[in-house]
Amino acid sequence: MSTGGGVAVGVAVGVAVVVAVVVAVVVAVAVVVVVAVVVAVVVVVAVVVVVAVGVRPHPMSATHTNPAMRKAAISRAPTRAAVQSLALISVSHLTKRYGAHLVVNDVSFEVAKGDVLGFLGPNGAGKTTTLRILAGFLGPTSGKVAIAGHDVVTSSLEARRSIGYMPESVPLYPEMRVVEYLRFRAELKRVPRSRRRSHVDDAMGKAGVLEVAHKRIGHLSKGYRQRVGLADAIVAKPPIVVLDEPTAGLDPNQIRETRALVRDLGRDHTVVLSTHILSEVEACATRVLLIHQGRLVAEGPTEHIRSMRGSSAVQIVVRGEPEAAERVVAGVAGIGDVSLVQISGDATRLRARFAKDVGVGERSDATERCVAALVAAGIGVREVHADGGSLEDVFASLTRDGTDDGARP
Amino acid sequence: MNGLWPIYKRELFAFFVTPLAWVLIVVFLVVQGMHFFLLVDHFALQRDVASDESPLSAFFGNTVLFYVVLFVLVPPMTMRLFAEERRSGTIESLMTAPVSSAGVVLAKYAAVLTTYAVMWLPTVLYLVILGRTGELDRHQAASAYLGVLLVGAGYLALGLCASALTRSQFLAMIWTALVLLILFTLGIGEFVTRDGTLMHDICAHVSVWGHMNDFASGIVDSRRLVFYGTMVLLPLFVATRAVDAWRWG
Repeated sequence: MSTGGGVAVGVAVGVAVVVAVVVAVVVAVAVVVVVAVVVAVVVVVAVVVVVAVGVRPHPMSATHTNPAMRKAAISRAPTRAAVQSLALISVSHLTKRYGAHLVVNDVSFEVAKGDVLGFLGPNGAGKTTTLRILAGFLGPTSGKVAIAGHDVVTSSLEARRSIGYMPESVPLYPEMRVVEYLRFRAELKRVPRSRRRSHVDDAMGKAGVLEVAHKRIGHLSKGYRQRVGLADAIVAKPPIVVLDEPTAGLDPNQIRETRALVRDLGRDHTVVLSTHILSEVEACATRVLLIHQGRLVAEGPTEHIRSMRGSSAVQIVVRGEPEAAERVVAGVAGIGDVSLVQISGDATRLRARFAKDVGVGERSDATERCVAALVAAGIGVREVHADGGSLEDVFASLTRDGTDDGARP
Repeated sequence: MNGLWPIYKRELFAFFVTPLAWVLIVVFLVVQGMHFFLLVDHFALQRDVASDESPLSAFFGNTVLFYVVLFVLVPPMTMRLFAEERRSGTIESLMTAPVSSAGVVLAKYAAVLTTYAVMWLPTVLYLVILGRTGELDRHQAASAYLGVLLVGAGYLALGLCASALTRSQFLAMIWTALVLLILFTLGIGEFVTRDGTLMHDICAHVSVWGHMNDFASGIVDSRRLVFYGTMVLLPLFVATRAVDAWRWG
């Protein structure tokens, strides 16, 4: 009985083993087959895709014998490439919030290669914050910013390598000499050792700091420090240069020099600069972004902004009877109201406001008529100049005219 | 670790080009010289010296002068590391260069640690003097210097962290001094609390006095290595996160 049981158990175990082996083999074969099928399908799909792509006529290929067709294909190809490669900076729906305070509010724009972009706005508009986000110093609360195709959050280092940034206050290490500082910055920005000296020399030459190369930064004047900041921004020859208020705190001569320098930079770099001075943008920039209270209010080529800058009034200094002069000017077509600003001796300063219905283009005609009328009435004209036309006026008109759809031209 | 080497070089340059470093080093060496002189004088006048005592073990942490010097010197060494750059705005040009937060923190830490080591370097002469006039256990000396380096490394990391957490150099200095004093006082609890209680164990574990006495008598205890490893890594990690956090402030 016990041996029979043993045999039975033995048989059972044997059967079990055989069954297990068979099952294992079947499973293994099944797996192999499935894998083989999957691989085959993938290969077939890949081949089909490759063939399909290869067969699909290439836009630039010479298969088009019809000239019109070829032309169409060529013009289509560069536009697609242009969107990819020309937008060096692309900002979409950028928002920066400090607590409850919204500093930058849903700003989107793109900067193409070769642009000199003027970032224009009154103090506190969010210019510095936006530039700091571009430069990778601050992170956006929401929205996407890509520098030369690199996202400033996810691939920050690559993005920062493509930018030369000069902060608003131009912070420098006062204990270093100019050339030491620039060598340090070049090394920090990973300029290879062999090219470091030439890069530093180039930057110093362009920014005009060669004559103070061996002076301590702490002993330099404000103008020179600004130039050292510029040299630092371009020392690694980045494709993009970002300058935050490059002319702040300079005297008129230095401002002129800096503007010339920025225009020069525009030849080799894509430049973004911020300012609150309208004429500065007109002097340097090819494109303008107007930002006000964290919002983008207008965007376009510089000429566009210039045309918005029509003055709302003209100031005239006359010699003679104040009341008579006032009457004469008030009678000129295109002039709305006239007010006496100041009387000093025999000179009278008048402000003549243009009538509301007079367009920007017709205002100079009205000015001309004013002068002609005054002269005809025997009143001496000593001085005529435009009144207003400041950034504030442009903003006032922009924010008044199109509050809802952002008034983007 | 991008930017580590250039920032390290600049930090050393900045430290040694200002009078602060030289003043600190001179003060340090004058105090240590007096300290050494007093100890040698003391031991020379004793008739019988306990076998586990020597000028060497006494010099490295058996008198309060060792700690006072550290508490006075470490806070001004570390206070400027980040606080100064944030105050003057140079942090903006630094962080917009392609450098990683960890690289910046490590470079600054390495620079201040190097300065600390340079500060201690001339004291090796004291050991040479001891070796010429009597017996000197080289292993014991090496162990003592390891202790000096570890304690300094921990304190400097704390100081760097404080500097990264505040905008004001003065506050950074005060915070560092405060934390170091609290740690020291806690360690002194080893001699106040009763043996066998939990408080005693905690105090003994953090007692820098106890640590230095071990190192100075040639005992390299792995618990001390782990303790100071933590004292270095934790503040450096916090500092790195703080540097990252400025971006989102």
